Amino acid sequence: MKIAGQTNKRIASPLIRLWRSLWVTLRHAWAKRETVSYPEIKRSLPGRWRGRIVLTRDPDGEERCVACYLCSAVCPVDCIHLQARQQDDGRRYPETFRIDFSRCIFCGFCEEACPTLAIQLTPDFEMCERSHDSLVYEKEQLLIDGQGKHAGYNFYRHAGIAIFGKAIGEGTHDTPPVDHDTNLP
Amino acid sequence: MGTIRIENHEIPFREGDNILKTALAAGMEIPYFCYHTALGSLGACRLCAVEITPKDPGKAPQVVMACLEPARGGIEVSISSAAAQQVRQKVIEFLMTNHPHDCPVCDEGGECHLQEMTVACGPPYRRYRGRKRTFTNQYLGPLVHHEMNRCITCYRCTRFYQDYALGDDLGAMRLRNEVYFGRFQDGPLASPFAGNLVEICPTGVFTDAVFRQHFARVWDLKTAPSICPHCSIGCNTLPGARDGMLRRVRNRFHPDLNRWFICDRGRYGHQYSEHPARPLTSRVDGAKVSYRQALAAAAEQIKAVGDKTGGLGSVREDLEGNTLLRALLNGFNGIFTAFSDPRLEAATITAVTALQNTTGAPSLAEMEQADAALIVGDLTAHAPMIDLALRQAYRSGARLAVLHSGPTPLARFAATALAIPPHEMSVCLSHLSERAAAPSAANSNQKEMLANIVVSLTASHRPLLIGVTETLSASQIAVLAQLAAALGPGARLAYALPGANAYGAALLSQTGRATAMLEAIETGHIQNLIVAGNDPLGDTRLGARWRAARQRLDSLIVLDCVATATAEAADILIPVAAWAERSGTFVNYEGRAQGFTHTFRRPEFLPSTAEVIADLARHLELVLPDIAAALGDTFPGYQAPVPGAPGSPLPAPAIPMHIDTTIHQGCESHPGRWQAALSTWYGDDPLASFAPALTELVPAVAALISPAAALNEGIKAGERVRLQGPAGTVVLPVQPDNDVAAGTIALTRAVLAQLGAGHGDPLELEKVS
Ligand code: SF4
Ligand code: SF4
Ligand code: SF4
Ligand code: SF4
Ligand code: FES
Repeated sequence: MKIAGQTNKRIASPLIRLWRSLWVTLRHAWAKRETVSYPEIKRSLPGRWRGRIVLTRDPDGEERCVACYLCSAVCPVDCIHLQARQQDDGRRYPETFRIDFSRCIFCGFCEEACPTLAIQLTPDFEMCERSHDSLVYEKEQLLIDGQGKHAGYNFYRHAGIAIFGKAIGEGTHDTPPVDHDTNLP
Repeated sequence: MGTIRIENHEIPFREGDNILKTALAAGMEIPYFCYHTALGSLGACRLCAVEITPKDPGKAPQVVMACLEPARGGIEVSISSAAAQQVRQKVIEFLMTNHPHDCPVCDEGGECHLQEMTVACGPPYRRYRGRKRTFTNQYLGPLVHHEMNRCITCYRCTRFYQDYALGDDLGAMRLRNEVYFGRFQDGPLASPFAGNLVEICPTGVFTDAVFRQHFARVWDLKTAPSICPHCSIGCNTLPGARDGMLRRVRNRFHPDLNRWFICDRGRYGHQYSEHPARPLTSRVDGAKVSYRQALAAAAEQIKAVGDKTGGLGSVREDLEGNTLLRALLNGFNGIFTAFSDPRLEAATITAVTALQNTTGAPSLAEMEQADAALIVGDLTAHAPMIDLALRQAYRSGARLAVLHSGPTPLARFAATALAIPPHEMSVCLSHLSERAAAPSAANSNQKEMLANIVVSLTASHRPLLIGVTETLSASQIAVLAQLAAALGPGARLAYALPGANAYGAALLSQTGRATAMLEAIETGHIQNLIVAGNDPLGDTRLGARWRAARQRLDSLIVLDCVATATAEAADILIPVAAWAERSGTFVNYEGRAQGFTHTFRRPEFLPSTAEVIADLARHLELVLPDIAAALGDTFPGYQAPVPGAPGSPLPAPAIPMHIDTTIHQGCESHPGRWQAALSTWYGDDPLASFAPALTELVPAVAALISPAAALNEGIKAGERVRLQGPAGTVVLPVQPDNDVAAGTIALTRAVLAQLGAGHGDPLELEKVS
């Protein structure tokens, strides 16, 4: 008897599992679809999605990137190349800025390293090209006309250096400059 | 000598050293800002806090500044104790309250001492929410950029600029937390060593204004051990390049030579290799051709004229290039020399011969130990770092005597400075030499001063004699050597030679070859001239004669990396690599062979001079020894110096030469009413004159004469005079200068070239109404 009972159990439990699986399958057959037929239908991606990289502008419409080379230094696959220049007023900007998206692994380190919130990853992954060369984006392709994810930040309002329209001592946290020509306390 | 316990290690210390120096020497790290090996301790930054525990249990441990506390036995030093760490953290936090937070646009970032120390000791976040003190910046000239907000008041800049380099136009102003480091007014820094502020400042207050134009972070720069190509000192440097372009040059420590500092010519002269007019493609008769075509054309020319070929090397060309060119010329019995001016050839060879007969020239570190020095000529322009070394000797009390014909900044620090017209220099030097041999009574004011110089040299323990080869004749150089010999074995002798490899070039040349070559060209015995890195057509004294001789040449083949007058006039121009783009060897003023290695390669194909000559020999089907063999043949036992190592003496066979020290009364007598003197400045050498930032600082061109002479002639400052030389006339404003000798007109190299006059040549001066 003992042996017969065990045999029953041995047969019963796989059967239950089988039926249960069949039931789940059937249930899903009638459930609401999650899959969409891309590319006819496109899903909206979360804002934090790490896709195509852009260079943003500050609230005044100027380039945010100050060509500090931190993104290119942190990039684990070494796919960012830039060359710093400066305007006559002392404002730094990248003369060239190049990202090789055929090497980029979209890790987001560059965005994390950027002290000016200039470089940002966007929810866009549709960048297929037929040749590697067309995946090398130059500054014209990277620089956008908006502030991206972080509105309101302007590096030069906080940093001490003077640029056009902001003299020394006119920053957010600054006091007027010391007059070094006098010795009065 | 004793031992001190630091972090539970027994560390030996030298009596008088402080704890910081002892720890750093042992490779233990104590954070610090204001201490510097060359500048010493000040105790300004308070960062080097350590805790010391006296052996005596009755005494409590205390936190002290490691840079101010003498090392002594019987104490235990803790760098990592909680109390010391807390002090250091607070110091950083306070320093950062006013920091402008502009690291992303600061050129120091990546090699900033403040960044490193803040990461190492500071609190991770800023707590201060108040407003920051700010400073305006000054324009300090084309070399150094000023951003005062980043200052941490360590006083390193003024200690270097004022105390060490003896400059007087940069200092500390105001008080409390508003101390300002700058000039009294905006304007270029006057010191020839101002560029060192870039390295001495631990933050980004002073940054390299030339590097700023093409800025790259330190981690992106390719570097390789190199040697400065701009004068005969051979300071060790570290060029940095990126994307096929040379970006900057920094100092590289050499224990005997430059140590922590280099001069501004060495730091900024490198711009010549980025000059827009630099030849980068080969040219044959003005048309751009490939390297192979240029080589074939050159080979054809040489074959056509057979053995009627001459070779002109250069004092700025490396040892390899000069040696191989000479070997090539030996292949068809041609004439080789490295000098376009016979006078300079004789002077340099005499100087090298004189050095071979002594214990050798002292290193810069040894020069600083001198207690009396005689300087003949202007060292600031011809060997800037010897000037800096002598300023150190002066600071430790050495008596300096300067004999000069034109302005020289060192005269300010001299106990005796005598302005002597070039034609009287020989008499003066002989007089010194005779007096040193047999003192006699002085009978005139000048003679008395000369007598005093001899007395101070004789009385000193480590006297030093230095001559500037370019403004001395061979016999004057020999007399200086005699004077050194007369002063006894303790006296040291050195010469500022006319180029980075002048010593090596002199060993490969022979007196009289330059004259022979010029005459051979003029008589048609040389129809084909190969010039490597030299500019005979732009020569100060003989430029006009060379230009005339050039008309007689069938072809002029030039190998160079700058657009000199000769390169412009070349029939066949083969551009070669600049020093940072090739490997080679320079032999400095001591005869120390130092290797340098290429920092980067340009996109264009640019071989070194030696490589071009080897390729040329192949085209000519000549069997030329390879470079190692050629050097081994010339300098028996030659071992190529390893780039980055301190260099080794060049094993040179002694030059068999009779030194003629007799003063020829005929040619040394007063040549007329006026005499030319070469007056250059620290940024002047054939290469650095292609560096835009330096040329911005060129002093205004004027005819410098002594105020007494101006009074005699009735010429006021700014009035124009017409100068007449052998090759032309020049109209210039007059500027009275106290440092100029009587009857002497001090002129720049360019003006002298227009006049066709060398140092000491007669000139006519006439007022322009
Ligand atoms: S996302 Fe990562 S791999 Fe791509 S550029 Fe930025 S740092 Fe480089
Ligand atoms: S880190 Fe930001 S500011 Fe710096 S170079 Fe990159 S994008 Fe520009
Ligand atoms: S300017 Fe630089 S070197 Fe001078 S005190 Fe300030 S931080 Fe120190
Ligand atoms: S002293 Fe001469 S070798 Fe030294 S850095 Fe200056 S120019 Fe170069
Ligand atoms: S290094 Fe000791 S106080 Fe600055």
